[in-house]
This record gives sequence, C-alpha cells and structure tokens, in this order.
Amino acid sequence: MGNPLVIAAVGEVGEGFIKERDVGDLCQAQTQHVFCFDWARENIDRFETPTVQHLQIVIPALAIGFVVAFALALLAHRTRWLQPPLLAATGILYTIPSIAFFFLLLPLTGLGRDTAIIVLSAYTLQIIYRNTILGLNNVPAAVKDAARGMGLTQRQILWKVELPLAIPEIIAGLRVAVVSTIAIATLAVLISAGGLGTQMYGSNLTFPTSIIIAGAIVMLMALAFDAGLLLVQRLTTPWRRAARA
Amino acid sequence: MSEQTASSVRYEEATKRYPGASSPAVDKLTLEVPAGEICVLVGPSGCGKTTAMRMVNRTVEISEGDVLVGEDSVRDREPAQLRREIGYVIQQIGLFPHRTISENIGAVPQLLGWKKDRIRQRSSELLELIGLDPELGDRYPAQLSGGQQQRVGVARALAADPLVMLMDEPFGAIDPINRERLQNEFLRLQAEIRKTVLFVTHDIDEAIKMGDRVAVMREGGRIEQYATPAELLMAPANEFVEDFVGADRALKRLALMRVRDIHLWEAPLAHVGQATAEVRAKLDSPDVEVPFPLLVDGERRPLGWLSERDLGAAVVPGRPDSPLGPVLELDAVMRDALADLLQHETQYAPVVDHAGRIAGVLSVEIISEFLGSPEAKSDEHPAVERPHG
Amino acid sequence: MAKGGAGMIGQLPLASFTGAIEFIFSPQESNVTGGKKVGGFDKSMELLIKHLEVTALALAIALVIALPLGLYLGHRGKGEQLAVGLGNAGRAIPELAVIALVAVLIGVGLPNVAPVLAILGIPPILNNSYVGVSQVDRATVDAARGIGMSETAIIRKVELPIAIPTVMGGIRSAAIAILATATIAPLAGVESLGDFIINRNVYGENGLLAGAILVALLALTIEGSLALLQRRLTSDGLKVKTA
Repeated sequence: MGNPLVIAAVGEVGEGFIKERDVGDLCQAQTQHVFCFDWARENIDRFETPTVQHLQIVIPALAIGFVVAFALALLAHRTRWLQPPLLAATGILYTIPSIAFFFLLLPLTGLGRDTAIIVLSAYTLQIIYRNTILGLNNVPAAVKDAARGMGLTQRQILWKVELPLAIPEIIAGLRVAVVSTIAIATLAVLISAGGLGTQMYGSNLTFPTSIIIAGAIVMLMALAFDAGLLLVQRLTTPWRRAARA
Repeated sequence: MSEQTASSVRYEEATKRYPGASSPAVDKLTLEVPAGEICVLVGPSGCGKTTAMRMVNRTVEISEGDVLVGEDSVRDREPAQLRREIGYVIQQIGLFPHRTISENIGAVPQLLGWKKDRIRQRSSELLELIGLDPELGDRYPAQLSGGQQQRVGVARALAADPLVMLMDEPFGAIDPINRERLQNEFLRLQAEIRKTVLFVTHDIDEAIKMGDRVAVMREGGRIEQYATPAELLMAPANEFVEDFVGADRALKRLALMRVRDIHLWEAPLAHVGQATAEVRAKLDSPDVEVPFPLLVDGERRPLGWLSERDLGAAVVPGRPDSPLGPVLELDAVMRDALADLLQHETQYAPVVDHAGRIAGVLSVEIISEFLGSPEAKSDEHPAVERPHG
Repeated sequence: MAKGGAGMIGQLPLASFTGAIEFIFSPQESNVTGGKKVGGFDKSMELLIKHLEVTALALAIALVIALPLGLYLGHRGKGEQLAVGLGNAGRAIPELAVIALVAVLIGVGLPNVAPVLAILGIPPILNNSYVGVSQVDRATVDAARGIGMSETAIIRKVELPIAIPTVMGGIRSAAIAILATATIAPLAGVESLGDFIINRNVYGENGLLAGAILVALLALTIEGSLALLQRRLTSDGLKVKTA
C-alpha cells in the first residue's frame, strides 16, 4: 500500500473518477483485508452512475459495430474478392490494443465517450464480420440451389434463406464481441469517458473492495448479455431444437 | 387435379458454352418432349444431361439457340418468374432446414402470392398425395428420413401446379429399397396428374422404368437415340446405345412389365382362429397352385406362411412359424420383383395391392414360364403401352 | 500547455503525430518536468524491450499451463465445460481490475505481475487447443490408433498438426491480450511502453501518443509474426481456405 511508484504513476485524467474515497473509520481495521463488507454495504449506490455510464459506452459501440460489420459482410458475400482485404482491415482494428487506440484517436476526437465508442466499435468489427461471413458460407449448397431453382430472387435468397440459417454463427460472434467489449470498456476511464473503470482507477487503485465490486459488476453484466443473446438465438432458431428432439 | 394443362418442352438447337472450355457442354440440342410425358435424359457423367435440363428453367443460361415451354421461349421470361412455373427437384433435395414441411411445400405458392388458406390447403393435399401423414407438416426437415424428405421435395415442386417438372437424379441419394418405392409412387402419381417431366439420371434401369421416352446422350449433350424404352431395348440405334443399355437387354425387358400384368397364382388363405381342418381341406384340393397356406388378417393383409407344425394345432395360431419374406406390390416393375425374389432366395412371395391386401402369389417359376412363352418371344411386345393407371 | 488531455484538443492532429514521432526518435524538452529531456530512441527501445519481455514471460507461463492441458482434454474429449467455459469467462475479466488488484494485494514488480498476466492468456489458449483437437475427425484418430500409435504420439503427430490453425489462433489471441494488458502494467510497478501513456506528467502529450503508436505497432508486428509462423506450421494439405 502506498507504493510511491504506483501513486506517482497516476496522473489526473479529468472527470469521471472519484478523487476522494470516503472510507473514514469503516475499514481502518480492515485496510489490509481484501474485501471490506461494511464499506460495500454503505456505498453500493455509488456504482450506479458508473454502471449506467458503462452501458452508455458499450451499447452504442456494439450497435454501431454490428451494423457496420454486418453491412460489410453482406457486401463481401456478394463481392467475393473483397473478403480477404476486409478481413485484414478489420483484423488490424482488432489487433491494436484498445488502450493504444484510445490515445491514437485523442488528437482527432478528443476525450470522452465518443472516442471510447469509436474504438470499441472498431474492435468488434472483425469477430462479427468474420462470423457473419462464416455463417453465410455454411449454408448448404443444395438449399441455395433449390431456392434459386424454385424462383427466389437473389435478395429473397439472402434474407429468407441464407441469413436465417446463419443466425447461430452470427450470434456466436456477437456474444464474443459483447463480452469482450464490456470488459475492455473499463479502460475508458483513461480517456475520461466514465464507466466502471472509474471505480478501479485513480484513488481506487489502492482500494481492493471497490475494484472487486466494480469487476464483479462488469463480469455479471457480461454474463447477463451473453445469456440474453443465447436466449435470442434459441428463440429465433426453433428448427435446431426440433432436430435434437 | 391439374388446373392447367401441362406444356410441351422443345429444345431448338440449344447450346451452352462455358468460358474457357474447348467444346460446348451442350451442342445444338434439338428435342421435343410432348406435354404430359416423362422424358428421361440418360447418359454417362459429363454428357451434359443436367446442363440441358437446367436450360429449361435457366439455372443454366442458354448461349445459343432456344428452349420453348409450350409456345413461349424461356429466354423471354424473367428468370425468377419463369422458375416459379417450373417444378425443380434435385438430388440432394435442398429442403429449407429452417422451415416446416408445410412451409417448404408452400414456398412457391407463397412467392406467387396465394392466400394463406389456399396454401395451407394445398400443402395438406400434397402431403396426402405423396403418402405422408399430414401431421408431419409441422415438423422440420431434420426430423424426417431421407425418403420422406425426397417426397417432400417432389411435393414442393408440384405445389404451384407447374407446367413442367425438372428432376435431376431425384432418387439418387436414397437407399435402393426406398428408391424403388419412390419410383413406383411417382409413376402412380404421374398417372393421375400427367405433368411434363424432364428426368435426368445416369442409371439406364431407372431410365427404362420411368420414361415414356428416353434420350440417350453422350458428351456435348448429343442425342444418340431418342425413343421409347421398348425401342431402346429391342432396336438400339448404334453401338454406343447398345453398350450403354447393357448386354442384359432381355432381362431388362422385364422392366417394361408390372407384376399386375402377369397371371399370379393363388395360395390358400387362412385366418387366425380358423379350424386347421378347413385349411387342410383347401390344401388338398387338386387345383391348388401354391402348396403353402398364407395367413392373413381381417383386412386380407398377409401375416406369414403356415407350416406343418402350425397346422398340427386344432386352430390356426396367431403367429405363424415362417416369416413373411419379401412382399411385392402389384404396381412393382417385374424386374424389381424378380430381383427381390432372387435376393431373398424365396420361391414364393405374396403380392399385395396399394392398400396392402393380398392379390396373389408370385414365384420365379411364373416369371420363367412367361419368358419362355410365345407371347414373350414375339417382337411385338404387348407391354409397349406404358402401364399407367 | 495545460496538464492532462485538455491540451490535446487544441493541437492539430497532424502536428500531434509529428510530435509523437519526434519523441520516439530523439529526446524532447519536456515542458512538464521543467527542462529535463525525456523520450528518445534509447528510452523508446528500452521500454519496448521491457514490454516484450513481460509479454513473452507471461505468454510462456500461459503456454506451459494451458497448452498441454487443452491438448490433453481435447484428445480425451473431456472437460469441454471447463475449457470452453473458462474461455468465455476469461474474456469477461477486466484487465484493469486484475492489474490493480495485483498491485494492491500481491505486490508490485515483475515476479508478481507476470503470472497474473499469464492468467489472462490462459483462457484463449485452453479454449482453442481444446476445440482444435476435439474437432479433429475421430476417424483419423482411430486410424492412427489402429496402426499402433501411442496416445501421446497421436496428439503430437496427428491431432496437433491438424489443429494448428485453431490452436495458433488461440495463442495469437492470448499474445495480444497479454500485450495489451502489459500496457497498464506500470500501474503495478512493471515498466513497459505503457509508461509513456500513464506517466504523462513525465512524458507529456507527445510521449502519450508515442506510447500509443509504439504499442499499436508492436501489437501488429507480433500478430503478423505469429500469423506467419502459423502459416509455416500449417501443412499444405490444410491450407484450403483463409479464415
């Protein structure tokens, strides 16, 4: 505790994180302990705003990421030669660590939520794009042949046959994207975008209870979204359940 | 059942050239398929038969020449619209996995804008027609067997009452037993609905069985002979056709006959609970053709053969000693019936009608008697008429 | 220029990047620390190497733990819940929390941080090695068993080569995840390129951007190298289609 290197390393990052931690007498005896229940009980509502902020970053990022990746996948599905370059491009956006990406964008878009949303959307592009393409490619050739021979137009084949059958793969990609994004959004604190990272940074860096609670909320949020998407998949693909029966 | 008459199909020097290929896949094909007939395109792999078939609904675009359905060129139509009027059945079936059976069958009607009620009614109609339990309509393709799926494939093609049906090795992916059954059923169906069918196969036996007319093709879609199955067997046009048809032409002629065409023997019938003395009396009768009693149920459906031991009891037992063995259908093609008899090494097999009721007994002896008869030896084979209905 | 990020907005983007590039190569007068020069090529390289070191160390630990385990479980076909579940759970772990907790509860410095970073790398390696091996056609494995190969030989000579694309995919994911988290390792007393980013009162805005650029380039290089390695390791028979 009180490692000079750690404390000196923390610069001011602007608004969004609590400068003073109101511990008072609560955890004095327990400062060495990992988790201070008393403090947790008393201060649980200070996690509300960061949680809301976290969602305000994550949800737009996923929405934008999905729409863009999906559109790119539809484009690449029709124009095959686009597939490798798009895969590479989205791959680059995925490989660049989000932290670095946040700061690379600073000169262009400044501090705050917007930068976080842009970076996080870019991060999700590859997985959603790749899985959508994979799902579309996995549609059995015989089904497409029959659909075409029966008189469905290209567009009808895409929307009525290929996409519905690709749903499991698309949602699989979406689930990975969602979980990763929720975890990475904690770093948004570094560019003053708020979020649950605020409870893990600044003066909170040395207060495990806060870190643990915030971390737990992040993971629960990820779990909830993941389960929700799984449910959506089950609901939209009744034929897969029937096959198992 | 048909609301519109089927159309003829005519190829007029239809040609398909693929870029980079040295010769056309289909070269100036000229062929006419009369309305209401099954025309089989048969030939070795790569001869262009599938390509030729696909030119009709433009899943393969025509390079030169034309294909007419009825009096209209297919080139004048918008492809998707054209295809909705043509039934399309492929080997791997291609049912939509994410749609129920009813929805699969109703796919084209839906595209054509039929009302929901009419679609639903049509689906159940067709399910019945292809011999499936209407309950299956709410299941998904993955829950059906291969044979059932293929039937649904045919029903789907028939749903919008098309002018023409295209069938590309439709029974190729099915096991031989079910294939025979499906072939028989399709022929039974065709007798009722009389569609114009272009049927592609590489199997000459299937071609002879199914076709009103058969076109034997070689590379480039060149027709070596276009004739009825009987003509093909009795008067092959050249060496290629002769080789393709095979050396066992005489035996193949059995494919032109049905079991119902021949005079079947009768076996004495026994019912469960009947006094065995009665059955013995029948057996002892001088004009008994089959020396074994056949156990049947109340509906005259065969259950098994009775042995001496069975007859030892006072009353006919419910479960006979000898198993039933192969049961043949009246509508089965004679060649298949003979194959079944030989394969199971049985001397006698009960023959049933489409409801499963006993109609007689067939034996190898009957067939060989027939083959040796003056009737069979004549060139004017009486079974030249396609045994429909 | 004001402290913190506010000053960034005032600069033109291009100017920022030029400033950052300069920072990488030659020591700059820092306005913040009152005249002492910071940055420059030597310092950049020093931190880059430190970043690589901690990444490599953590990756090695993760590999040693997760790779054999994943291959074994995949081969036996057991423990799918563990391998896949851990893979999913691992993705949900916020790296900031991990680093912060290490710093507070365990202690600062490389010996403490490296194993914890390894924890972030274990889920993708475990998940992908399991999936890669378990998806190898059982018929192929049976054939190998049939000709008398021992179980370990089967893993080494049959399953692993076939599973290489998937397994390498997991290793690449792990490498990038560890590399990314190493960026905030300075919070736990381990030097890395993140120093430029986190200690902005020392290195200034140019340092901040320079750090970000270096991390991005390093990540792309590592990913590229591992991709090439994957291609070398993948037998030609498997190179049917790109991912």
